[in-house]
Amino acid sequence: MSEAEAYSYDAEMRKANRAKAVAGRSVIFKIKRCDGPGKPARWESFKVPIEEGANVISSLNWIAANPVTIEGKKTTPVVWESNCLEEVCGACTMVINGRVRQSCSCLINEYAPCEGDVMTLEPMSKFPVIRDLWVDRARLFNNLTRVKAWVPIDGTYNMGPGPKESHDHQQMRYALSECMSCGCCLDACPQFIKEEDESKWDSSFIGAHAISQARYFNEHETGKQLKADRMDALSGAGGINDCGNAQNCVKVCPKGIPLTESIGAIGRSATIHAIKQFFQGKK
Amino acid sequence: MSENADSMQTRHFLLRRLHSLTGIVPIGVFLIVHLTTNSTIAWGGLNTRAQSEGFGWMDRAIATFQHEVEFINNMPLLLLIEITLWAALGFHSVLGVYYAISGKSNTGAYKYSSNFRYALQRITGYFGIFFIFYHVATLRWGWTWLVPGGTKWSHEAASSTFAAAIQGSTDGFTPVGFLVACFYFLGVSALVFHFANGLWTAAITWGITISRPAQKRWGVICAGLGAGLMLMAWMSVIGFATLDYEQASRVEQILHGEQIHLNDEPN
Ligand code: SF4
Ligand code: SF4
Ligand code: FES
Repeated sequence: MSEAEAYSYDAEMRKANRAKAVAGRSVIFKIKRCDGPGKPARWESFKVPIEEGANVISSLNWIAANPVTIEGKKTTPVVWESNCLEEVCGACTMVINGRVRQSCSCLINEYAPCEGDVMTLEPMSKFPVIRDLWVDRARLFNNLTRVKAWVPIDGTYNMGPGPKESHDHQQMRYALSECMSCGCCLDACPQFIKEEDESKWDSSFIGAHAISQARYFNEHETGKQLKADRMDALSGAGGINDCGNAQNCVKVCPKGIPLTESIGAIGRSATIHAIKQFFQGKK
Repeated sequence: MSENADSMQTRHFLLRRLHSLTGIVPIGVFLIVHLTTNSTIAWGGLNTRAQSEGFGWMDRAIATFQHEVEFINNMPLLLLIEITLWAALGFHSVLGVYYAISGKSNTGAYKYSSNFRYALQRITGYFGIFFIFYHVATLRWGWTWLVPGGTKWSHEAASSTFAAAIQGSTDGFTPVGFLVACFYFLGVSALVFHFANGLWTAAITWGITISRPAQKRWGVICAGLGAGLMLMAWMSVIGFATLDYEQASRVEQILHGEQIHLNDEPN
């Protein structure tokens, strides 16, 4: 698949690195640190001995146990967030060597194969830092509420079993369902700008993540009841029209979700929604 | 949702989609017509109807271009067409800049071709506004103080005066004239890219292309169109930048002479 021309090079590079990884080496971790919201950022480096199969989280664990910088200065342990450790929760997302990805699945062998190689860790760039590599992704979840990314099932009577779904349609929705709300697609998007002011969230660009989830629920037989509401939200400021088609989102999504197809599909829905509104809208 | 928020939302949608639409109609359509007309300086020699006594390939090209310019100049409601274009260009530019400054390019970290196209779309937009302004101001509004050599473009001597304006003198290239010619070359290239790439993204914006293969297929078509337009654009600039002022002037005089002659005919 042409998933990403640029990434295929990356995949090859990572494979080559894996093959030449030196056993028993030490790697320098250069980490962007920050003591709390509004505090200044600073860089600290740590020299970490690499064990077989080490990843970024295991290296951060080592640093937590040995919080001494490369200059021999004692410091506080680096703070980060993680949960599943198998790339399904998205909590450990950070910017590694300049690009956003999950840290739990990031093997040191693939990135820093030689003695003294440097791994750079930074917090995600589009969300407020809580501390060190730990960010507050509340806006990402707020964006899901903007498009009512759920199926309305509350009511006063039993709605019975849902309609039948074709295999192809189910496959299409399955791909969209794999999103773990990690925010990689937002961090890499040139149109998704960091916004600390919560009151501006609802009019700022919503990003590929919620656009794709809106499509996911629009395509659900019961979920489509809220389609008009979702399209209202996506037609307004910060909605689908703010996408600039840089298509970074689809390239960095760890789940390979066809985000640009979702953007095209929601664009089509928005076009149809606007025509409907014009001819039969009550507002 | 409040009344106010509703109208804001409708307006937002309309403005965005109008921005997309104006880029294609009328601006893009005009670009195609304009480049077709202008590139006659390179291929107008094919036009055997522009034949006159002693005319060679280049003379026919000059005559064809002159004919095209006069045809446009004599179009009914020309001013209305111009105003429509200016309004569309102004709207597309102002909104385009406003939208462009809302993004933050990151090609340093994410070196994907689509990301470079995203950045280029914005850069060519800024540059294109600058170029179109110079182009229209010097040739249409007669701001000759911006033209090296100060030649005023005239639709009666369309080829010769434009050649002089882009070469910096009626006597071939001057150093500043060469810069103007390069500026034209970059300007038209930027605008053609902007149009072809904009056409590709517009299909996603409007939801015409959805699947990846469809986006790819449409991309090939847009690239093909872009390549064709780029060729015409380059032919136009190079054609005029290398045009001999004297020759063009002579052909134009012959044409006007014939016209006067025809008009003078009593029968
Ligand atoms: S779409 Fe992909 S990159 Fe974006 S939040 Fe979901 S899983 Fe992460
Ligand atoms: S295609 Fe749209 S959502 Fe995806 S990275 Fe580009 S601007 Fe962002
Ligand atoms: S810890 Fe869950 S994705 Fe890394």
